[in-house]
Amino acid sequence: MTLKVAIASFAHTHAASYAWLLGQMPDVEVLSADPDGAAAPDAGPRGAEFAAELGVPYVDSYDELFAWGPDAVVVTSENAGHRALVERAAAAGAHVLCEKPLATEVADGEAMLAACAAAGSILMIAYPVRFAPSYLRLRAMVEAGRLGDVFAVLGTNNGKIPYDSRQWFTDATLAGGGALVDHTVHCADLIDGLTGGASATRVYAASNRILHQDKDVAVETGGLVTVTYDNGLLATIDCSWSVPDNGPTWGGVSLEVTGTNGSVEIEPFLPHLTGTDANGEVFLGIGPNLDESLLDTFLDAVRTAGPPVAGKPPAVVPQPDGNVGLRTLRIVDAARRSALSGQPVDL
Amino acid sequence: MAEQLADLTVGLIGAGNIAHVHVAAWKALGARILVHSVEGAEALAEEYGLEVAPTLDEVLAQAEFVDIVTPSPTHKELTLAAIAAGKNVICEKPLTLTAADSHEVMAAAAAAGVKVYPAHVVRYFPEYKAAYDAVHEGRIGPIAVARFFRQASSPAGSDWYRDVARSGGVIMDLMVHDLDQAQWLCGPVTSVYAVQNPPTVDGVSPVNVAAHVTLTHESGAVSLCRATWGVPGTPFRTGFHLAGASGVLKHTSSADTGFIEELQEGGGDVDLLIPENALGESPYLTQLRELAIGLRGGPEPRVVGADGAAAVYLAEAARASMESGQTIDMKSFTSSGAVA
Repeated sequence: MTLKVAIASFAHTHAASYAWLLGQMPDVEVLSADPDGAAAPDAGPRGAEFAAELGVPYVDSYDELFAWGPDAVVVTSENAGHRALVERAAAAGAHVLCEKPLATEVADGEAMLAACAAAGSILMIAYPVRFAPSYLRLRAMVEAGRLGDVFAVLGTNNGKIPYDSRQWFTDATLAGGGALVDHTVHCADLIDGLTGGASATRVYAASNRILHQDKDVAVETGGLVTVTYDNGLLATIDCSWSVPDNGPTWGGVSLEVTGTNGSVEIEPFLPHLTGTDANGEVFLGIGPNLDESLLDTFLDAVRTAGPPVAGKPPAVVPQPDGNVGLRTLRIVDAARRSALSGQPVDL
Repeated sequence: MAEQLADLTVGLIGAGNIAHVHVAAWKALGARILVHSVEGAEALAEEYGLEVAPTLDEVLAQAEFVDIVTPSPTHKELTLAAIAAGKNVICEKPLTLTAADSHEVMAAAAAAGVKVYPAHVVRYFPEYKAAYDAVHEGRIGPIAVARFFRQASSPAGSDWYRDVARSGGVIMDLMVHDLDQAQWLCGPVTSVYAVQNPPTVDGVSPVNVAAHVTLTHESGAVSLCRATWGVPGTPFRTGFHLAGASGVLKHTSSADTGFIEELQEGGGDVDLLIPENALGESPYLTQLRELAIGLRGGPEPRVVGADGAAAVYLAEAARASMESGQTIDMKSFTSSGAVA
């Protein structure tokens, strides 16, 4: 069965990867729209020009995109725009893959979950690191009890500041904040997956703007977020945009999980070739394309579930779902408030 | 160097694990060692050819200065006894178990004109010193976010470490090194937030336990210190990641050492509490040489009593944060003097 998959906005850098992959897939028809792209102050191309580069069909407006009758919609707008597009997709009878974070405000996230539930639409969150082989192996080990009782986690998601290609990432309104919003959620999602959805009970965050001061950025660029969960688990996440602009790779993710039988540390983006070329140090990443695994999981679920039926839960709920998106958004929201007050926030 | 430390008589007080390492360093420096300990002095003396001092008074009478390597809860009284005898002191970390006690010790030392140097040996590990030098040369710009990490096979299974009133727990005993590093590298601290899991109950530390402490510094930098007492057998491992405005420096003790061992028979036979070093001279030797030269009127060493007191002060603030569930403002925090 050929699926009609719409890409709503090229604001998020990941849209390019999704568009390219969808364009390669058999039995998938793609249509894209990026009506706000022309006004964006980005260095790279947006809108029709970007669609042409990616080789995917393009329409000028969301009205045309939704009138096309997509089976599924990939929402890759600015974070603050997720709610309107997800609600619209649900109303149009489509399943939804929403870029992370779910939204910039918890109330928006709750409304999005409610809209998708009412429409019977799948709401999956684009957390691709869940599909990393190292993470799957770690999760299997945790589930098998190999680590004993897990009591502490360190997560790091350090990267280059996403500034040149997409400036909205450093716009407090459009992004919802800076590094705390952009990078806390990936590790929070990985921890959520290990704990089977444990809820955060207390969140403390300390942040600053020392990194990238030269770029006149108004949002936090570095931060540490400590989370206590309802099962007692202690986790700290370093969400800083602390990979220098001239670093050999964009950054990475790490998760160190400690239990009563030892610890496992994963770095899903670490497998690589090293060496030297004309530009200096080489970092040539190897391993599967995690975005492809994410899309495959989403589209398999869309096919299996069939068209949404209002009021009826979808037959398949691919993970990470909207509930994970909302739990991780609550952590980010608490982290933002904690960073402002200097005190931990209880949830 | 050798001349500076000629005819040195060190009073070693204590004969536990770390005593062996200090003995090796003092012998390398050509010192005469008088050892006094509640237990184990004779065995240590026999193993290394040392002289035993049967009483504390005898050590204090004969030694040029004392090197205190006893369990943490005895540091205060022994240091005060040495100060009262007019002797300079080198004392294992933590200097004392509370900031109030550290201040009392430092005040007594100042009044007696005696020096007290805490053995924060991590400042002498070449990777940490290289980071310190690079940061202070401006190599990575002002530090924004720093992470420090330290894990060891839990000593809390059977020993006195489990009694938080005696060891101070994982923060005072193990993380105190990194609290000192955070302050050394990022400057004075303005606030402290701490969580430990599982929590200490009725003064008894869990055997397997992790603590995460977030510091905010006057400079605006934030730092995370993590310490884990791991399941028995956990290899000793430390590391740091320093992100500055113009660069990053990082190190993990288990990587980039230039020494990879894959031995079968007899392999894996390593000390789980005191790290081996593959980068040359023992940092313990570097440390004790520098401290001894400082005590003989040479240049001030890179770590002094106030640093030891400051690290204890941070560890105590971390404990207060865990008790209240709140961030501790270091501008108004005062030591309660309570041990646990």
